[in-house]
Amino acid sequence: MPRLTIDGREIEAKAGQTVMQAARDHGIFIPYFCWHPNLSVPGNCRICVVGVAEKDGGEWVEIACNMPAAEGMVVFTASEKVKARRKATMEFITLNHPVDCGICDKAGECTLQDYHFEYNGAASVSRDAKTHATKHFDLSERIVLDNERCIQCTRCVRFTREISMSNGLGMLDRGDHSIVRPSPDGAFAKDAYSDNVIDLCPVGALLAKDFLHKARVWYLKATPSVCPGCERGCGVNLWHRKDEWKLRSPRQAARNEGIDRVTPIENPAVNGPWVCNKARDLPRLFGRVRATGPLFKGAPAPCEAAVLEARALIAEAKRPVAVVSSWASNEELAAFKAAFGSRFALVAKRDHEPQPGEVVQDDLLIRADKNPNAAGVRAVLGECGTEVPKDADLVLVWGEGFDFRAVPAGAKIVFLNAFLAPENGHADVFLPLSIQTERSGHYTNFAGVTSRFERCFALPPGVLHAEELFGSLVGNGRGA
Amino acid sequence: MKHLIPEFERMKARFPAGFDSSLVLPCLHRIQADRGFVADEDIVGLCEYLKVPRIQVEEVLSYYTMLRREGIGKTHLQVCRNIACSMRGAEDVIEHACKRLGVKPGQTTADGKFTLSTVECLGSCGTAPVLMVNDAYHENMTLEKLDALIAGLS
Repeated sequence: MPRLTIDGREIEAKAGQTVMQAARDHGIFIPYFCWHPNLSVPGNCRICVVGVAEKDGGEWVEIACNMPAAEGMVVFTASEKVKARRKATMEFITLNHPVDCGICDKAGECTLQDYHFEYNGAASVSRDAKTHATKHFDLSERIVLDNERCIQCTRCVRFTREISMSNGLGMLDRGDHSIVRPSPDGAFAKDAYSDNVIDLCPVGALLAKDFLHKARVWYLKATPSVCPGCERGCGVNLWHRKDEWKLRSPRQAARNEGIDRVTPIENPAVNGPWVCNKARDLPRLFGRVRATGPLFKGAPAPCEAAVLEARALIAEAKRPVAVVSSWASNEELAAFKAAFGSRFALVAKRDHEPQPGEVVQDDLLIRADKNPNAAGVRAVLGECGTEVPKDADLVLVWGEGFDFRAVPAGAKIVFLNAFLAPENGHADVFLPLSIQTERSGHYTNFAGVTSRFERCFALPPGVLHAEELFGSLVGNGRGA
Repeated sequence: MKHLIPEFERMKARFPAGFDSSLVLPCLHRIQADRGFVADEDIVGLCEYLKVPRIQVEEVLSYYTMLRREGIGKTHLQVCRNIACSMRGAEDVIEHACKRLGVKPGQTTADGKFTLSTVECLGSCGTAPVLMVNDAYHENMTLEKLDALIAGLS
């Protein structure tokens, strides 16, 4: 194991590590654009230059990302020589950059912006006009590309070759005419992981159309959550308005309670640093029209009366069946078990099935079961049935995706659902539930890894938490 | 491009196994020599044959200016305009060629006989200015020599 010194600190690198990797392992920061821990090393941006001491007391500079850590090496990350080289590199990288941070969505979380302040800070010294390139280029239906902002680091290109394997992007032409373009065969549009290139982009060249000009990033806060799109349960950050930056106009008020964008949370045990495009579309999934009040056979009912009616129906039933949601959190499942014990015969439900055109399963992240907590249901409630028994006289349906034709004739229906749906009105009693963004909890993924999600928004009026509801559904008769 | 596959197979034998993507460039050269340019169907056929993603072939084609996506005239006049040639009168040669042929650099004459291009260094600075007629060098070019050359080819 080579021992080397970085900025006066002696560290031990692992065999085969580069100076960049060894430094990061020991918390020493070296800047980088094109390098990424999960991608190959192209060494094209040159910003990670470090100084290496020579025997005669001199110092030579080399890029840290591609230099093997060697025994006895003495490295400087911020010597005068390194600072001068880094400043010159920044001048070169920003030579044709439009510096339009004021209208760029990346501003505030842009590596180029941060490094410019840190390593250069001066206005351009070039007397030549900047080269022009395509702006607002439709890279796919989801992503827009600004080629003038691009610094040709090729992270996006390498992502499609090394991680998503779609080979959807390439670098065409040469020199300062180099330009990122999608493959003419449409491979990038079909890439189920394409939106990761937006996070990978160290500048504002690749931007999500869904988030374009929606908010400055410093108006938003990230709430850690879990993607419910499949049984992988990838870690995600749900970005929504900070309290102090809530929109005041009544016309825009709804946006205060919505998710603006979704980014991955790196979790080596579950998803690594990536998520698929389905996670990016969670704002649409959670943003569907909600059910906001209880119903008796389709007629609006007061909440208390609806809960009492449901309780009475459950108490009176002789052979009650519960169809359990695999979108329920472990806490909700535990509350269900604590409240009802073995009162119900149990049926496990897949709330969501693969949609037409959706990738069912692949070798990277995507799993065939499109529900986040089927493993949690098994762990908390044991093995459940798959079909509603023919002799059931009451069916408690929890969550979406249930075919009500499976309810035996004459059986009563109590339905708990978060979203507005025609089926809501068919139930004897319907109760509206909270969604994942309105509560915290845990999901257990297919591999047994349990991940926590936090609450983003307050509970809308008229909506109930299943975790609290189940306790009040136990008891006798209609009396309080 | 399909009729060239036996030739490609012989080239393949000269490369180590697993290096099929290295054949992109020699195959494109051969295709261009055969057709005069590289057509879309050639790209699709080559990707299929070499099992190389489409974008990789597109990158090679756009990187090298010598690889063409469109046909050119029967005779290709390429005039060097780098320093040595420019200092010895390349700009006059280019201007004269434009006048004689009635085209600008990069264009083909209406009768399809000539395409005029300006190119980077041809590596013959000692005999500047230099002009290439298809694959042949014509050195120490003068306006008179150019007139005679074009007359001979018309």
